[in-house]
Amino acid sequence: MDEWALERYFDDSIANDSSFILEEELDSHSPAPSGTGPAPSHLPVKAGPSGQVGEELDLSFLPDEVTDDATGHMTTCVLWVSAAVDVSQDSGLGLDSSTQDSAAAADPQQGASGTGTGTSTFCPMTPMTPMTPMTPVTERSGIIPQLQNIVSTVNLGCPLDLKFIALQARNAEYNPKRFAAVIMRIRDPRTTALIFSSGKMVCTGAKSEEQSRLAARKYARVVQKLGFPARFLDFKIQNMVASCDVCFPIRLEGLVLTHQQFSSYEPELFPGLIYRMVKPRIVLLIFVSGKVVLTGAKEREEIYEAFENIYPILRGFRKQ
Amino acid sequence: MYEPDNRVNSEIEKLTQIYYREAYQHESFIRVSLRKKEHLVGCCLLLSCRLLNWPISMATISSLLDADPMVMGMLYIEMVKILNIEAPIVNITDVMEAHSHDYQISSLHAPEELSESHKDLTKRAVELVELSADTWIVTGRRPIPIMMAAIYLSWQSLKPNKHRLKLSLEKFCQLAKVNKHKPAIKRITEMKEMLCKLGQEIPWVREAVTPDNVVKHVEDILKHRHALLRRALRAQEDALLAERQASCEDLPIKEDADNHQLHGETLKSQDPEPNWGKRVLFAPPCVVQAKKSRVEQPELTDVTGDEEISDSEIDAYIRTPQEVREFALSQKMLE
Repeated sequence: MDEWALERYFDDSIANDSSFILEEELDSHSPAPSGTGPAPSHLPVKAGPSGQVGEELDLSFLPDEVTDDATGHMTTCVLWVSAAVDVSQDSGLGLDSSTQDSAAAADPQQGASGTGTGTSTFCPMTPMTPMTPMTPVTERSGIIPQLQNIVSTVNLGCPLDLKFIALQARNAEYNPKRFAAVIMRIRDPRTTALIFSSGKMVCTGAKSEEQSRLAARKYARVVQKLGFPARFLDFKIQNMVASCDVCFPIRLEGLVLTHQQFSSYEPELFPGLIYRMVKPRIVLLIFVSGKVVLTGAKEREEIYEAFENIYPILRGFRKQ
Repeated sequence: MYEPDNRVNSEIEKLTQIYYREAYQHESFIRVSLRKKEHLVGCCLLLSCRLLNWPISMATISSLLDADPMVMGMLYIEMVKILNIEAPIVNITDVMEAHSHDYQISSLHAPEELSESHKDLTKRAVELVELSADTWIVTGRRPIPIMMAAIYLSWQSLKPNKHRLKLSLEKFCQLAKVNKHKPAIKRITEMKEMLCKLGQEIPWVREAVTPDNVVKHVEDILKHRHALLRRALRAQEDALLAERQASCEDLPIKEDADNHQLHGETLKSQDPEPNWGKRVLFAPPCVVQAKKSRVEQPELTDVTGDEEISDSEIDAYIRTPQEVREFALSQKMLE
């Protein structure tokens, strides 16, 4: 089992920060991960239950050394699908143009972190980089993507005895043969945490940045109560996943033809079209039903901007 | 088994070798397992076929390599990204010709009553697939079960006698010596439903067109599909218009713009917004048969992230000394 897929999150974000010593998770038994491991900077992680009671933590996105299973990427996509398609349809769809402006200006229900759509700064185009065309500010869609999952990391700043934690905590799971971290859950905010012996922690399942931070603090408190000198260092949102529904069907075969440099559509492998937007750097999963999943964001404005960019493109493929 | 090896021309072979050399030496692939390198060959072949417009499916290539199509497919996507190549996707109707070769039901292989010429069969199946694509049955779905469903229905409709209509998909696949794909059954149902919607627009058909009797009308439906589509769409629009007028007459007061949004919201909370898929003639099946969406728990709003965390809440997650002893004991006993 490749333990480092998650550890690499830390490497990415703390690489230049000399105040952290990357612990010796890097043992000697396996060399650098093979090229089929998911590249963490591109690959969002869905490792948390999305609201169901008793749902098992699905770590199948982590490549499995034993079977040399290279389906990490697609499995993750499948996980997103199962999360997305069960999501409530209510995405604030503005039904007529007269309400469009008010819908766009209204704060999203998640919290007061800015208005629905962020303003994009104009960036001079280099001829080499294909850029998805930007939407003029006046043509907002009126649809607000809903956040479904936030993944964050934090450093508790001290080594942890995982066996001890698993023994003392009611909400902990630890199977060192399967995975080298304690899996801990709390009810409110309903989230899951992966706690490593290095003291680093990943928190998943929250529906907003603030909830993710609150949850992470609670996990840190549990670890503190168990007697460790846990701190709360470098909390960072690593990935945000959102979804919405444009409520019309989309000709994916057409979209992949006209936006070939950004799109990948392989119905033999996966029902959705994978659109890799360059600016902002967001991956969108677009389905024939009109449902869209957006992921890869570090800030929610990126999600809103990405959706406003894709919406007119999707409108172009609307039939009937 | 259809073997493209004897058909793939030298140009494709050459291109495959070029890409393989490039991929093999790339840092991402140089150290991978031998098995994976074999998969890589398949990926390069697939890429070359696509670039040179040779229609072939991933399933075909992976079966030649005795590989899992998913594994090979994933590797293909990765390779294409690493080598930074854009390859066109394969059109299902192009693959149909090759795919139908697999079915051994020409007069050489099957009894006369059940045999069908490859040419006729393919022609009809292609038309059926095109019509299915227009009516949202194809997008997002795996191509092979669709092709199987199209071939089966085409075969039945070319001679819709008792023998053919009674033969199940299972038996048909046995006859044609192909492996049955389970999803094909669902595709058959969806295609029949779609054909019924068009079949009932045929002016000279008096009886109701149902999935049980639609096969004998397939020839006519395909022949006049454009006209029938237009008629069906118009009929649907008229029906919707009539429905809207009827409901408008029921509403006593006309809401002004301010109240409208509020009213809309309260309506929404009372009953779920009607599925847009049910209001159009053809929609992707996943929309029409939308699973009941999970009712979201009322989420924490106005969370700042800086809230005070009570000791009692945290204590609830920690075992009592007694529990710890019992747990440790049970772990020992389980070993």
